[in-house]
Amino acid sequence: MATTERPESRSMGDRLYDALFHNYVWRSIFRSGYPNTPRNQMLVVATNVFLHLHPTRIHRTHVKITHTYCLGGLSFFLFLGLTITGVLLMFYYVPSVERAYEDILHLETDVRFGFLMRNLHRWMAHGMVIMVLMHMMRVFYTGAYKPPREFNWVVGVVLLVLTLLLSFTGYLLPWDQLAFWAITVGTNMVGSAPVLGPPNKFALIGGFEVGPNALIRFYTLHVMGLPLLAATFMAVHFWRIRRDGGLARPL
Amino acid sequence: MVAAAQETAESPAVRAKARRARDEELLVWPDLVFVEFIAAMVFLLALTALSITIDAPLLDRANPAVTPNPSKAPWYFLNLQELLLHMDPALAGVIVPTVALVALGTIPYYDQSHEGQGEWLSTPNAWRLMWIGTAVGSIGSILLILFDASIHVRIFEGLTHGKWPVALNFIRTTRSLQNDLPWPASMRDINLDPFLRTDLLGLPKLGLSLDIPGLIVAQIIPVSTMIGLPIILSIVLWKTGEAKTRRDHMIAQFAGFIAVYVVLTLVGTAFRGQGMELLPPWLVKPPVS
Repeated sequence: MATTERPESRSMGDRLYDALFHNYVWRSIFRSGYPNTPRNQMLVVATNVFLHLHPTRIHRTHVKITHTYCLGGLSFFLFLGLTITGVLLMFYYVPSVERAYEDILHLETDVRFGFLMRNLHRWMAHGMVIMVLMHMMRVFYTGAYKPPREFNWVVGVVLLVLTLLLSFTGYLLPWDQLAFWAITVGTNMVGSAPVLGPPNKFALIGGFEVGPNALIRFYTLHVMGLPLLAATFMAVHFWRIRRDGGLARPL
Repeated sequence: MVAAAQETAESPAVRAKARRARDEELLVWPDLVFVEFIAAMVFLLALTALSITIDAPLLDRANPAVTPNPSKAPWYFLNLQELLLHMDPALAGVIVPTVALVALGTIPYYDQSHEGQGEWLSTPNAWRLMWIGTAVGSIGSILLILFDASIHVRIFEGLTHGKWPVALNFIRTTRSLQNDLPWPASMRDINLDPFLRTDLLGLPKLGLSLDIPGLIVAQIIPVSTMIGLPIILSIVLWKTGEAKTRRDHMIAQFAGFIAVYVVLTLVGTAFRGQGMELLPPWLVKPPVS
């Protein structure tokens, strides 16, 4: 257990502070004191599983917004936001041809903040596609794919594909004319490939045309398969950033 | 290798550099965590405001019997749907995106140099090359799209108040090469069965036939355009001395790719009306069933 750096406490304020941030319960959770000394500030990052994605120290230039524009972090933020709003939407949505469209209408009119959850999910999904594309451009133009970060670029391209597939599978779920025909056009493109196209299209939509089978397949991929896959690749992506020496820096 | 590493680690210059690097470092808490928190809050608030003001689209219940005109894919695939108008569906829908993704994924393996990392466009010519690539990619793809929309015919007819000469009908669009040239019938339908002897393998006859003019229009011209124009760009940049290293060439190519991607997406989204006809955005009407 990391020991806590405790300032000499004298006044009422200090004693209150100690009672709040250096008591038995606090330290059982956070392992370090309130992060107001350099030592505690490093400990809070090193001993917290979420903040542990970061190093404890970072080069001055990497904190400048114009170095990364936070694009990768914002892509991850949008993924988290999509997970939260997506779980809430799952409470109200049944992926059957009979109910899907009605459930969306209920969400718009009957469910408290239902319209907000749906709109947030939709705009965050578009935002994530844009963010991931811009993140890729940032990494390219800053030369951040260069050795030793080659493989992390490949992982990033896989994540781009997964992002597009996540968005595409979600597109069908409202089961309105926009969804139905967009997926019909999209899967017809898959089906146009020589030799491998038709069987792949059949496997993707569970038939020759978009129907109930396509809806349940897209739903399962959208809420289970692809998010798990994306989370796995994200774990590799973030871990590799640390392993490969943090953000790219001039030699 | 290990000995060399130890040697450099002990040299005073390296030690001095390491100490200087430490002075250049900031603590992640609060300096980075704060920036991340602000970025997340700004986006959360902006997206919430957007979601309150603009509703996600919802049309009528899905009806397989009623096809809207035009039917469009999600916007990030409209670049491929735009390509679909100009070439073979297998090429536009599967082969081009696959090749593009593989080319993107293997970027670090073409350019293995350590030079110029961690800084925006740090090689001497990088910014210039990025703008050249962007200009060539966007202008090139716009011109090609306009050609396939017969813009040259419309300009000619507008200027001369006459008709486009019948003798030149074969260059109204790329497709006209197939339809408006007197191809001999034998070239439109070459039976491949005598060459593809699948029956010798115990398989059924494929029954494939080759349509030379169709092949030229749907495959050969698009493929040679998509491969040839980037090669010409790189050769010009190399001969004029603009691009010196692999990184230089890749910056121009990547910028060109992004420009083409953006142009195709924009054209597919905002400039395609009923029947996927090329129109200015203010004349594009919502789909009709």
